[in-house]
Amino acid sequence: MLEFVRSRALRLLSFSCSSSPSALQQWRQAILAFNRAVSTSSKPNGSLDLKEIEKVLSDVQADNVKVIPVQGMCDWTDFMVVATGRSTWHVRNIAQALIYKVKQKQRGAEKLWMPSVEGHEGGKWIVIDSGNVIVHALEEKARAYYNLESLWTSEMLTKGPNEVPEKALLKTRRKNNSKKSAPKTV
Amino acid sequence: MIQPQTLLNVADNSGARELMCIRIIGTSNRRYAHIGDVIVAVIKEAVPNMPLQRSEVIRAVIVRTCKELKRDNGMIIQYDDNAAVVIDQEGNPKGTRVFGAIARELRQLNFTKIVSLAPEVL
Repeated sequence: MLEFVRSRALRLLSFSCSSSPSALQQWRQAILAFNRAVSTSSKPNGSLDLKEIEKVLSDVQADNVKVIPVQGMCDWTDFMVVATGRSTWHVRNIAQALIYKVKQKQRGAEKLWMPSVEGHEGGKWIVIDSGNVIVHALEEKARAYYNLESLWTSEMLTKGPNEVPEKALLKTRRKNNSKKSAPKTV
Repeated sequence: MIQPQTLLNVADNSGARELMCIRIIGTSNRRYAHIGDVIVAVIKEAVPNMPLQRSEVIRAVIVRTCKELKRDNGMIIQYDDNAAVVIDQEGNPKGTRVFGAIARELRQLNFTKIVSLAPEVL
């Protein structure tokens, strides 16, 4: 149903403002806004909010917890939380604690919603993706190696928010390079 | 549409420059791989003085394909090149940054790590 409404709206948008570059700009912004609205409105009720995540992380003694708001820089999530664990076991325990909290929150619900967890076997970098908040639990070495904070604080700022190249959304007709002369119309 | 013998660009700073697909991981008799599939690949060309060497066998996730990607809402995404990101057995990316635009579908396919390293998500 949601998909249908979305596609419908996209079509309407593209229909109402097609020509001229400013209209294109408008159209692109509308799409981005719409994508964001859909992704945040379809938030499941079991997902954790920032305060709960911070509480869980402090309970399991994760070091150096950093919350980075990324709304302006990307449209697929709102917050990134980066935390360090002392060992692979500790990193796994951080992930376990967050999953446990999600389960606790939905106790008695008919259908259990679970966040997607990635990298649980390795334990060097575990990502818990609960919709609009993404938690990265990293080992110390991995954190220094990937350096996510600098990526999402300084490197993205220099790039500017959501720069979709102008050409990406425009469809151009291919140039006719053939030597053949056009067929004569009688 | 990536199949064995296809050459792919590398969309990260792992040190490889060009890969050749030699196997698609997942099913036994699959013909083509698409965005979000894991492949086994050989490094055909590498950047000098980097940990990855030429003719090394690695795993990679496809992030861009010339074959168009269709979404349920009618949107069609098609890139100009075939590109992949080098990962290890655990699924951690070898490089620390991903270059170029990548598709939102990778997040649904549990490659959030790659998505969170990418500068742009379409």
